[in-house]
Amino acid sequence: MANTQRSYLTCIRNTLEAAMCLQNFPCQEVERHNKPEVELKTSPELLLNPVLICRNEAEKCLIETSINSIRISIKVKQTNELENILTKRFLRFLSMRAEAFQVLRRKPVQGYDISFLVTNYHCEDMHKHKLIDFIVQFMEDIDKEINELKLSVNTRGKLVATEFLKQFL
Amino acid sequence: MSAIEVHQFAQCITCHAWSPDQTMVAFCPNNTEVHIYNKSSQGKWERVHILQKHDQIVSGIDWSARSNKIVTVSHDRNSYVWNQEASEWVPTLVILRLNRAALCVKWSPKENKFAVGSGAKTVCICYYEQDNNWWVSKLIRKKHSSSVTSVAWHPNNILLATTSTDGKCRIFSTFIKGVDSRESLSSSSLDMKFGEQIVQLDLSFSWAFGVKWSPSGNTLAYVGHNSMIYFVDDVGPSPSAQSVAFNGLPLRDVLFVSERMLVGVGFDCKPMVFAADERGIWNFVRLLDQRKLAPSGTKYGSQISEAFGKFYGQSKSTVSNDAVEPSRSHGGVHENCINSIVPLKIVDGGVKLQLFRTLWKSGSLGFGKPTRIFFMILGCVGKIVPDLH
Repeated sequence: MANTQRSYLTCIRNTLEAAMCLQNFPCQEVERHNKPEVELKTSPELLLNPVLICRNEAEKCLIETSINSIRISIKVKQTNELENILTKRFLRFLSMRAEAFQVLRRKPVQGYDISFLVTNYHCEDMHKHKLIDFIVQFMEDIDKEINELKLSVNTRGKLVATEFLKQFL
Repeated sequence: MSAIEVHQFAQCITCHAWSPDQTMVAFCPNNTEVHIYNKSSQGKWERVHILQKHDQIVSGIDWSARSNKIVTVSHDRNSYVWNQEASEWVPTLVILRLNRAALCVKWSPKENKFAVGSGAKTVCICYYEQDNNWWVSKLIRKKHSSSVTSVAWHPNNILLATTSTDGKCRIFSTFIKGVDSRESLSSSSLDMKFGEQIVQLDLSFSWAFGVKWSPSGNTLAYVGHNSMIYFVDDVGPSPSAQSVAFNGLPLRDVLFVSERMLVGVGFDCKPMVFAADERGIWNFVRLLDQRKLAPSGTKYGSQISEAFGKFYGQSKSTVSNDAVEPSRSHGGVHENCINSIVPLKIVDGGVKLQLFRTLWKSGSLGFGKPTRIFFMILGCVGKIVPDLH
């Protein structure tokens, strides 16, 4: 199980290293503007083919690149209803604070749980390999966090139920 | 066989150019200004001038060798030609007539014209009008279907090669009546009308950058974003092309060291050398900036953590046993993408290469001889950015 996760993350890391070759590119449509082309999609020649990396039906990662920006969308494994709710709430919590993360997108792309938008300005300010490390580490940590949250919810539920039912003993 | 001299100018450099006597360098530190640094006799770099006229980032600088003029173009659709009067640089107006950002600029070999590639899918060829003391432009409007990323002049001052984000490399004639003389094209049978497309090369299926002519003008080289470099010989009615694929991330710019040797720079942060053998077949030779990587601390950490479990918690990547191998920095002079490479001087049989400016580090000054790869690279090392979390 750990092996498939490792090869999944290695595959994502290699793809990101190849895809994160960004440069400053002024907008062709509007003068004096500079926009992330992957969000705009007005000039198809500036976009590269998107790559979809699937670990299984439930977990996948979509990487869309353009000349000055890259968008990484992740779908996290959710096996039951509880995990569904926990993932949605937790990732929404993070996305609302997207400014603190800088590379996070406020809303995930349709069909995915969370999205990153990395532009050439991020690559100028930060090391490219550190950005990739961050994203891969994030994916690893999400799984652990959701598991921990699930455990704590179940534990708390048991505690509360025990305490409540004691009064009927 | 490479000597490297490293100097940090700024955190991020967009473009740069050397002065004719190689003592001064002009560059744009990723903002709206152009800084000119002078190398004093003690070997220290001091800032001598700041040219402030543009409203947006300066995307191209070229310093003419004989007439000592600097031309700058910017994303704000403007361009200025700077002349040195006494100790000040004075800008001259350039009527560019662009409605989108300008991306690159190059002086022609005779320095009576310069070419500007733009995001408006046009190329402007500018020449000087004495009566009004300004530079006027003629536009090559048709043919390009996307932004023009790079321009290069043929030694005959008439032919211009351009690359574009539509993946094609095109060669145009830029003959201007009154500026160019007819003798320069008398030997060839090429069409002389301004804006005539001579050849369109469709070798790359991804964006094309960094076009350069060889010193004699016989060979043309440009790179594609698909990690390939294309060499075209005998440009004209029947060109012969070679595509060389290489390992690693795409290149951004190339430079001909001699007729048969070329240095490419790009996202891999290490310059690559390509050479042609006697039959004229080009091949990758070596990387320039090879340094032994000291065993990385994090890798050692993760081996220890496998043995001892979760005792090492300095950085998250060493904590988990199943951690995916973290990526390491390259350990070379440059820590981020190299934008461009410009020659410093051509000395007899040897060529002194020049600087690469990286998005992070400033320049590298390289000196090379075509017979042996003897380089002296002056580069800039930027500061280390702390971890994101």
